[in-house]
Amino acid sequence: MIYREAGQFKTSYARDGGLYPIRQDRYGLIVLLLVAVFAVPMMSEYWLVTIFLPFLVMAVAALGLNILTGYAGQLSLGTGGFMACGAYAAYKLATAFPDLNIVLVFLGAGLVSALVGILFGIPSLRIKGFYLAVATLAAQFFILWLLNKVPWFVNYSPSGVISAPPRAIFGDIYVTGATATPEAKYLFALAVAALLALAAKNLTRCAIGRSWMAIRDMDIAAEIIGIKPMATKLGAFAISSFYCGIAGAMWAFIYTSSVEANAFEISRSFQVLFMVIIGGLGSILGSFLGAAFIVLLPILLKNAPEMVGLSIPVDVIAHIEFMIFGALIIFFLIVEPHGLARLWQIGKEKLRLWPFPY
Amino acid sequence: MSNQLRIALWALGAPVSVGLIGLLISAMPLIDSNFFFTWGYYLEVVTTGLLTGVLYSLVALGFVLIFKASGVFNFSQGAMVLFAALFFVGFMDKWGLHPALAFLLTAGVMILLAMLIERVVLRPLVNQPAIILFMATIGITYFLDGLGQTIWGSDVFTLDIGLPKDPMFLMEGTFEGGVMVNQFDIVAAVAAGAMVIVLAFLFQYTRIGRALRAVADDHQAALSVGIPLKTIWAIVWSVAGIVGLVAGVMWGSKLGVQFSLALVALKALPVLILGGFTSVPGAIVGGLIIGAGEKIAEIFFGGYIGGGIEDWFAYMLAMVFLLFRPQGLFGEKIIERV
Amino acid sequence: MSQAEASPAGPAPGEVLLKVDNISLSFGGVRALTNISFDVMKGEIRAIIGPNGAGKSSMLNVINGFYHPQEGTITYKGETRRKMKPHQAARTGIARTFQNIALFKGMSALENIMTGRNTVMAHNPFTAAVYLGPAKRSEIHHREVCERIIDFLEIEAIRKTPVGRLPYGLQKRVELGRALAAEPEMLLLDEPMAGMNLEEKEDMCRFILDVNEEFGTTMVLIEHDMGVVMDISDRVVVLDYGRKLADGPPDQVRNDPDVIDAYLGVAHD
Repeated sequence: MIYREAGQFKTSYARDGGLYPIRQDRYGLIVLLLVAVFAVPMMSEYWLVTIFLPFLVMAVAALGLNILTGYAGQLSLGTGGFMACGAYAAYKLATAFPDLNIVLVFLGAGLVSALVGILFGIPSLRIKGFYLAVATLAAQFFILWLLNKVPWFVNYSPSGVISAPPRAIFGDIYVTGATATPEAKYLFALAVAALLALAAKNLTRCAIGRSWMAIRDMDIAAEIIGIKPMATKLGAFAISSFYCGIAGAMWAFIYTSSVEANAFEISRSFQVLFMVIIGGLGSILGSFLGAAFIVLLPILLKNAPEMVGLSIPVDVIAHIEFMIFGALIIFFLIVEPHGLARLWQIGKEKLRLWPFPY
Repeated sequence: MSNQLRIALWALGAPVSVGLIGLLISAMPLIDSNFFFTWGYYLEVVTTGLLTGVLYSLVALGFVLIFKASGVFNFSQGAMVLFAALFFVGFMDKWGLHPALAFLLTAGVMILLAMLIERVVLRPLVNQPAIILFMATIGITYFLDGLGQTIWGSDVFTLDIGLPKDPMFLMEGTFEGGVMVNQFDIVAAVAAGAMVIVLAFLFQYTRIGRALRAVADDHQAALSVGIPLKTIWAIVWSVAGIVGLVAGVMWGSKLGVQFSLALVALKALPVLILGGFTSVPGAIVGGLIIGAGEKIAEIFFGGYIGGGIEDWFAYMLAMVFLLFRPQGLFGEKIIERV
Repeated sequence: MSQAEASPAGPAPGEVLLKVDNISLSFGGVRALTNISFDVMKGEIRAIIGPNGAGKSSMLNVINGFYHPQEGTITYKGETRRKMKPHQAARTGIARTFQNIALFKGMSALENIMTGRNTVMAHNPFTAAVYLGPAKRSEIHHREVCERIIDFLEIEAIRKTPVGRLPYGLQKRVELGRALAAEPEMLLLDEPMAGMNLEEKEDMCRFILDVNEEFGTTMVLIEHDMGVVMDISDRVVVLDYGRKLADGPPDQVRNDPDVIDAYLGVAHD
């Protein structure tokens, strides 16, 4: 009864093209953001560090992959590689220019990843779908190998581990490194993720987004009506890698504070892919839902048996987790290829009609 | 070009290119005096590489079979290799079965698995875009990796089915010291070769083979002439499972049965790009090229850039290859229509 | 649509917009087209007819750069070109609809039509990410243009419906809208009326004639329905087995003995 759009008339194309044409959605989002900014930081450090930080970081990575796979239809298995790229680029930038603002460091890391993404995206001009997946595997393995082998990337640290230097915004609020408070880190990550989500939403609802979807839905027809396949695909690759690079930088600087290249191995790529599939291909909201799901599920699996008094060895839990992920992927692909985001939408439509279903 | 001519060209071209690459590398000591090169050693590296390549081919073959018959790009072929090897070694070690019995039992498991996959995954996803099916097989991969290890544990199993493991020396007369080859690798190569011949026969000359090729060409047309699509898919996945089992046994005895087997099997993907996704000979030749290529690269040049280039060499080679011949060595050029 | 002012309405006799000369196209050993030559006048409705497999769709594919003929030249707007990518051809003002509907299934009717304006829209990722300002203005401006097309094609009610859910006839109409959105000078229509019932065919004919008259858009049309072809086209080319059989006004083509042979078969003794 409450969720209705009746009586809200759109009188201009500008209003119709707005982000949230329905008033209740707008208010809902504002409330959500208020809760995220004011209520969540009150929670315990455990919640912030083990749930909210990885959730925000992975959501940004999922946004990146969703732009490439969900919107432009190009499958990538190299997300981990591009994240590693961003993490190391941020580290090199931050240590080479100690006075550089952390926001610029992150942007720079994103740009470096975007360039690398373009480089590995070039084969996508000739190939489609799963052929491309193999090409992105090359990126995954090659980038990780390079970062492990060339000591310059870790500033010749013998352990091969990079530690994020502490950096502050607004003068003295430290948001990165081991000394920053979880609250500051969380709020910074939230701001980055929210801005990037807004930018992704804007990109996907205008001409660029439509040309990505056109290439995804029917590439030959898209080219014949005048979409440049090369520029469009490479653009999607670049922007997607930009997001993944920033996610990698967030991982290294905000989430863990110190990281080695192996944190971004191929299982990370699959993890992000699963988020996108479960959350919803071609949906910004889905990227967040999927990230939340995949971050929460292992924690739940770890704690659930203890709660009912069972003790299952850790490695068995890890294997069961694999099985559940695999089964969920298949389940979602069969039942709801548009993922959790679509379920949310269906729920909203039901709500609109409630309590009279017709 | 007729088939005979093509085969003759390859038979002639392959040794010539091996020789040419050898010549190039033999010039390296001119640049770097520490560079070690003898022809005997080079041939040894090539042979070892080729024999590893046979195993890549075997995994790639499983991919090609499924791709040809169902248009599904089966990412889980590597997981099937690990899964089969785990069951095989589990039946032998934990149940104390004879290898032959264990093999038969595992084959049964793989057939059961194929039927399950067809029923639970493929049937509901029929007519979906290829990329969705591909992602579903990634789901299968995770499921199989988890299931296999939940049942049998994640220890490293050593697999010993009594294959000879001593090195032997070939052509001792021609080269100083001869060319050292592992006997086991030869057995593996022969087994793989036999497998390929059996499969080629199955595809070309049997009723099922004809049905398979019909399905590969056009699902709906095949259905309309009364070919039972579902049975065919179950058969193909079973055959791919058994090919995976053979690969798993061979590879397991070489490296031990462990999780990394699934990752090694990923290398079959670049093999496919080289060979073309629909070509059985392509899978074989591609496997050999990748196997030999990465060994040569690693042993002669890996030292210069820190080693470990076997991890990515195959993928990079495939990527470069894609730029020049996206349809693969043996794949057909696709005429697109609108 | 602004080209209405740019080009005078109605056919301007004598002005050749497109000329194909001695086009031969083969795939491997299969000859799809052999020595095809014809021209298209500015503002006319030119039909290509012929039995199935005659090479009609291949001819359109050659015109918009999707296939590259081995021999022959294409002269478009006075410029001779040999090899051109489809998206470049689209930017010279050639739009196209397809035999089997090729809409973007994941988008709504409106989005599909907006995609048709891709060639004239700016693609700056930086302004697009911020959206306020230039990107928003451009979205609204092009939306207005597309809404006019939607009005013209009488598909207002379905503008937000995902195209996959639309019935066949409406999908064809949306596809025409997508092609019109590019404000083309030449429109290639590949069997626009295939599989339609009489009423839908009449609607489609009306749209084609209206577009031709109002905007002076040149049309190249493939169609199997002879009634339609003879009614609306100015001149007709007949292809058979990749060769040109006849070329001329509908009445002349209708009485051509070769054409009658090709369509009705000829008695061989």
